[in-house]
This record gives sequence, structure tokens and C-alpha cells, in this order.
Amino acid sequence: MTRRSPLCDLHAELGARFVEFGGWEMPVQYTSVIAEHRAVRTGSGWFDVSHLGRFSLRGAGATETLRRLFCNDIDRIGPGRSQYTMMLNESGGVVDDLIVWRWGIDDYWVLPNAANHERVMARVAAAAPEAEVVDLRPTTVAIAVQGPDAPRHLAALLDEAPRRFRTVITGFRGVEVRAAGTGYTGEPGGEVILPVDVAEDFARALCERGVVPAGLGARDTLRLEAGLALWGQELDEDTTPLEAHLEFAVSFDHEFVGREALEGERRRGLRKELVGFATEGRKIPRRGYRLRAGESRGEVTSGNFSPMLERGIGLGYLAPPPGDGDLEVEIRGEWVQVERIDPPFYRRSGPS
Amino acid sequence: MQVPEDLRYTEEHEWVRAVDDGRLRIGITDYAQDALGDIVYVDLPQTGARVEKGAVIAEVESTKSVGEVYAPVGGTVTAVNAELEARPELVNTSPYGDGWMVELEPEPGFELGSLLDAAGYRRLTES
Repeated sequence: MTRRSPLCDLHAELGARFVEFGGWEMPVQYTSVIAEHRAVRTGSGWFDVSHLGRFSLRGAGATETLRRLFCNDIDRIGPGRSQYTMMLNESGGVVDDLIVWRWGIDDYWVLPNAANHERVMARVAAAAPEAEVVDLRPTTVAIAVQGPDAPRHLAALLDEAPRRFRTVITGFRGVEVRAAGTGYTGEPGGEVILPVDVAEDFARALCERGVVPAGLGARDTLRLEAGLALWGQELDEDTTPLEAHLEFAVSFDHEFVGREALEGERRRGLRKELVGFATEGRKIPRRGYRLRAGESRGEVTSGNFSPMLERGIGLGYLAPPPGDGDLEVEIRGEWVQVERIDPPFYRRSGPS
Repeated sequence: MQVPEDLRYTEEHEWVRAVDDGRLRIGITDYAQDALGDIVYVDLPQTGARVEKGAVIAEVESTKSVGEVYAPVGGTVTAVNAELEARPELVNTSPYGDGWMVELEPEPGFELGSLLDAAGYRRLTES
């Protein structure tokens, strides 16, 4: 059954078109994907991300559980900070990539991908029988505010705006809300989780301040331009963090599920490797198109038009890892040479 | 959704307008551009190319997907809208005007009346 955001009537009023994503019907665009994309790169936009998973984990064993189940080490950060991490299977494949907000010694909010919410929550709950796990999706709305102007708007609306990668318990018009200086666009800003009954007021206040409502279409082109992996496309249970160039989120200084497999992979070398590339013109590489470089073969996992580069950009895997040779993509029957670019494809200038 | 009365249409969501000397100007409909979303690239044929009825004469890339434009009639390409190379978004903003794509010299014997009229096309998009 498809679920809907508590803000769906507001979206309809704002002219949204909807798309099904991760079991949720969410806005894909309001006016134009490119206009919304550029608004986020040059000003600010807000996204209803209520489909995102979110649950709280509090009590005895919480930290030990997250350290064992996730490959990044949550003890690398203290309370008041957030961390990007992954849940792996025993083979080192990515069960989910997610963000953890830390509030205290054994007090967390865990934000899996929409489609993995139940499964991650169930595994965490089973591994931490003495801790309390509460599903936050039924009672909250999640809104991402992103763009160079986003921190200013968050500071105006919240009692305290989150700084980059920090988490904060703050207020909106007298109601407690929580936020982190995170996002999925490569821009500054934050993600705010609010009780359902104040969420529409918050969204309307953003609109009144000129923050542009943006849909999942722009969210996808923004994350791709920023070179950020999407679970289900770049990441799955048959892909390891090392193959996806996510080593920065793997901490080998602690024990975690999948560690042995990753150590074996480091010894033997990678089976496949994520590559980024851009087309010469506006031809767009699409998911599933074939890739080749020398003896290496593979497929595009994400591809779209980059509104900032005005070129087609894509991510994909090649097996075995290709070295430095020429990279080609097959666009509807024609092999075209593409420029290999290590993501991000677009990096904003100036301080973030 | 605009469906101008003075044009003819195909079931593949193209419009056809008779221009000078029996040539045909072809583009995609308002319905088609709306379904595709933001158009970022239009791959057009070479002027002078011979095309069969039903052949792909252009490809339209959007942020959502790629669409193909089919020749509503066989003929010879007499002109393409070069403006679309730099401004493909004209297909979104002016699908029946500045966003036209191709002009064809149709094969002899082609009857414009064999294509859908506005009422027929409107029924197609509403069904």
C-alpha cells in the first residue's frame, strides 16, 4: 500500500505532481526539475522527505549495537553530531546506508532509506533488547532545507539552526523540533524533523520566505551532481562500501558485521569499482546503459542531465576496476567516449 | 492542455502543420512535452535525409526519460530547428511555435487529412 505524507494536501495546493518512491507517494516536481534544482544551487529549496526512515534508539546497549551493526564507528562522534554510516551483510554488501543523529551516550535517532526503514529498525531492535526503539515516522514530518541561503532561513525560523553535521534540539513557534546540518544535495542547510501538527506551518513559513518547494526529481539530480550514492542504484547487498568509494564511512578500528569480508576484499583487490563520467554534450546516460573501458565491462547505475554543467553525467560500475583507460557508454546503440570525472561533478564555491 | 485547432496530430503525440509548398512542419504536442518534463536535449536529423513513415526522426531527452519522435509520413528532411541545440527548453515553453523540430517534404500522395484532427487528438489524450 502506498503511503502519503501528512503534507500531501499542501503539495497538491502548490501544484505538485506525485511519484511513488520507496512505498510512498511523494512530490516529484512542482514547476520544473531544472528550475527547482537551480533554486537549491543558487538560493534555497525545501523538500518534504517524510518518506525517509527514522526511529529513536535509547537505553542500555544502544551504542554497542550501533557499533556492531554499522561499519562506521559511532564513537567517533559525540552527542550533538551526526554521522553517515552503513549496515552491511556478512559478505560486506550494503544492506542500507544511513545517517545517525547522536543525542547522548546511549541516545540516538537513526535515519535509514525509506525502503529499508522496517528492516533496519527490526535488526537494531533485535540486537538491542534492553534499549527502547520507537518508530518516528507515524508522528513526525521530515523536511530538508537546502541551498546557500538555507542556513539563514533555518536561523530565522528555528530557535537555533543546526551547524554543518551538528544536531540540535530546538524549537519552532514553541514546539520542540530536532534538526541536523545534513542533506543530500551538496549544499548547506539542514534536515528538520517536526511533530506532524506543526509541519504544515513550518512548510508554509518556508514558502513565505521564498524558499522554493522542490520535489524528488530535483533531489535526484542534485544528489547525482554532488556525486552522492543512492541505495538501490549505486548501493545494494551485492556491492561493498569499498567498491562504492565509501571508505571514509568505514572504520576498521572496531568490530562490525561485514568487516572480515571487507578485509578480504582489501587483500584481494576489488571485484568492481564505481566510476563517474560526463558526456561531451547533452546526451544523457541512463540507468542500465552499458559501460566499457579496456577489458572492463559494466552498467550505468544513475544518469541524468547536470543543470549546472549542462552535460549528461552518470555513475556506474566497471568490473574489473578499469585503471585509467578511455571510458565509453552505449547510448541507444552507439558507443560514445565520455570524460571520466571523479565525483562530485559539481562542487559549490566558497565556504559552506 | 493546448490542442490548436489548425494542426493535425498523430497517435504518437506529434503535431503536423502544412507550411509553404506542401512542406510539413513537425513537433511534439503540449501533452507530450508535459509528460516528458524538462527537455534538455533534442537530437535532430540531417537536412536532406530521407525518412520512412514511422522512422525515428528525432530523440527528445528530458530529466525524466528519453522520447522518440516518429515521421508521420515518409519524405525528405528540408529543415531542422537549429535553435533547439542551444535552447531545447523551447519545446516546453512553445511546443507548437518556437519549439518545432523538423520540416519534411512529404512523399507524393500524402493527405494531411489522414492524420487526426484536434478533436480526434483531444479524445486520444483524454481516454
